[in-house]
Amino acid sequence: MKHEITRKEYFNSEDYLLEVRAPSVAEKFQAGNFVVLLTHPKGERIPMSVLKAENGNIALVLKKLGKSSRELDTYEVGDKLEAVIGPLGNPIDIKEYGNVVFASDLVCGHAENYAASKALHEIDGNHVISIQTFPTKGSKYLEKELRSVSDEYYITTMDGSYGTKGHYLDVLERLLKEKKVDMIFAGGNLSSLKKLAGLIKPYDVPAMVTLRSIMVDGTGMCGSCRVYVNGEMKLACIDGPMFDASMVDFDALINATSRFKEKETEAMKKYNKDTGGK
Amino acid sequence: MANIIKNRVYVSEQAVNQRIKNFDEVSLGYNKEEAVREAKRCLQCRNSPCTENCPVHVDVKGFIKLLAEEKFKKAYLKVKEDSPIPAIAGRVCPQENQCEGACLLGKKYDAVNIGKLEAFLADWAMENGVNEEFNIKEKKQKVAVIGTGPAGISCAVDLRKNGYKVTMFEALHKAGGVLQYGIPNFRLPKNIVDKELSYLEKIGIEIRLNTVIGQSIPFDELRNTYDAVFVGTGAGAPIFLDIEGEKLNRFCSANEFLLRTNLMKAYNPKYDTPVILGKRVGVIGAGNVAMDAARCALRFGAEVHILYRRTKEYSPARMEELHHALEEGVNFKELVSPTRIVGENGWVKGVELVKMKLGESDKSGRPRPKKIEGTEFIMDLDTVIVALGTRPNRLFLSKTPELKTHKWGGIIVDNGLMTNIEGTAAGGDAVSGGATVIEALGEGRQAAKILHNYLLSKKLTTPG
Repeated sequence: MKHEITRKEYFNSEDYLLEVRAPSVAEKFQAGNFVVLLTHPKGERIPMSVLKAENGNIALVLKKLGKSSRELDTYEVGDKLEAVIGPLGNPIDIKEYGNVVFASDLVCGHAENYAASKALHEIDGNHVISIQTFPTKGSKYLEKELRSVSDEYYITTMDGSYGTKGHYLDVLERLLKEKKVDMIFAGGNLSSLKKLAGLIKPYDVPAMVTLRSIMVDGTGMCGSCRVYVNGEMKLACIDGPMFDASMVDFDALINATSRFKEKETEAMKKYNKDTGGK
Repeated sequence: MANIIKNRVYVSEQAVNQRIKNFDEVSLGYNKEEAVREAKRCLQCRNSPCTENCPVHVDVKGFIKLLAEEKFKKAYLKVKEDSPIPAIAGRVCPQENQCEGACLLGKKYDAVNIGKLEAFLADWAMENGVNEEFNIKEKKQKVAVIGTGPAGISCAVDLRKNGYKVTMFEALHKAGGVLQYGIPNFRLPKNIVDKELSYLEKIGIEIRLNTVIGQSIPFDELRNTYDAVFVGTGAGAPIFLDIEGEKLNRFCSANEFLLRTNLMKAYNPKYDTPVILGKRVGVIGAGNVAMDAARCALRFGAEVHILYRRTKEYSPARMEELHHALEEGVNFKELVSPTRIVGENGWVKGVELVKMKLGESDKSGRPRPKKIEGTEFIMDLDTVIVALGTRPNRLFLSKTPELKTHKWGGIIVDNGLMTNIEGTAAGGDAVSGGATVIEALGEGRQAAKILHNYLLSKKLTTPG
């Protein structure tokens, strides 16, 4: 069964929302899950965070980065994608945490944080604090959505053109000093997550981080997405995608996620040549 | 008594220098005349040890006799009575340990090439559009088969022939399980897999791809929708070595490399899948998966070294694969065991190996390899691929804690392959942890019988 694109909306020149018809996946989706997308039969199986699952549709947020995501951008409303597989991975525990922070500085993180904060915002006793970080004002998105599911909301830009200047880590550091934070969920850049693990050390606060590692099947059969947690090998696809930040070997993971860089650049060059740089 | 012909009829193959540059099938198989000539070598001995030694008990003597008489259709239908996917079994069974291993002629001379004869008949039937003909007496009861690998296939076919409505569920985007993601095209062409699977759909089996039971459909929901369930989720989870250096880039499991190569077609420039190997590749292990990984790496242009702790003759690989690998130029380093992976700037640079010697025999009858202390040395490599076996897939099992498993992950079943959950049988690698395609086919078939009996008794006891 193929999956029709039902909505496509640009936030800026790079980031866009893509809504795909996938009733059986949408019905079972829980915050924390991810899906695997196969654009066409010769494509890659791309793991993706989910923004929303409503009315039989799955909403995803995409960034035009490499060949696969650029190619996906050529699909318009009404076009069909080969497969949407899932939900995969483990959902988050939907319960009362108290003061709970959601932070991200990358596309996938913002999307999954929306789904999770929405779920936690509905639970009495949770005070949801969202922090979004973007390079600049023009690159921001999902502000309205995240505000609507947060009790406290911060936005930062690296160049200071919107919100507070700096990174979510700066805001988080201030919050940790000012008040009791009971739980942190963070996603996005791995190097930021590594810094986050260092930042929270003096405080008594757990942090669950969503790890983006390279997957092939997404069902636990290849070990490509392996991460080392507390010295033990885990698979992001079936044991994760969320892990306790204090136990993750980030250096190994950052190294592993860079391993196809050359190939990706090659593929991008070839794609640009084949399509005339569209 | 007929004359004894000592040697097998030669099977044509792609020339070595040509085939190492492509992923097309190595064996070109028998033509009609060759197949008939080989079939005539069969002694038609009284006891049929070949059939006895076959996990699905194909009437080998029977089909070979028909083939020798050039009754191709009848011969094919005879095979098909017991072997649901003969084009595949003929190509990937370890015949030397099964039918051919028991062949009377083989005691003194070459055993009859039963595998190639089976594959010949299946290919002949495909080319000539010959199909099994049977009437299915439709029943109302529905059976779910989880996994579309060999165990699931044979279970589904037998249940369907008994009239049940059968739906197979596959987590990946292509059906066939290990036949699709594991075994390379040059050994088992994917168009053959697709054709054998299209037969399943032809007889009315529904195959639902991209459906992860336990996640897309919870097990409870599945059990409520279907009258019986077969679990054939396989053993695809890689085993790592747990030695220093496994975090390095270009260290990977054979499964990752084979998934990228076979399922995701990395060798075809039209596909987006990246593979990075560098110049020198080491493959740890010497079973079929190791041979597959080594021969794929060779076809990507790498210099390949199999690193094995015993000697060649104790390799658990299918004889033909070992032979082909050596012929193609895979280097075989015997009596070494890895102690750590050596790296530089996050990338594999080599492997430290320790020399081994063969000690006393273990339970499998093979000599136990022993370390020779102080003989460590480093071998320069760009990629290290580990092929030391697999464990049962965890995804489905982790979502169904009610299904009882052994500590090592295999599903616990009784003699009849029933699990602890009512109406649910299991078979294949999900139960055994890792065996052959034909053993999985045999278990699928056995489970089908048990589920058939279960469904008959259920029908009697359920009102309406």
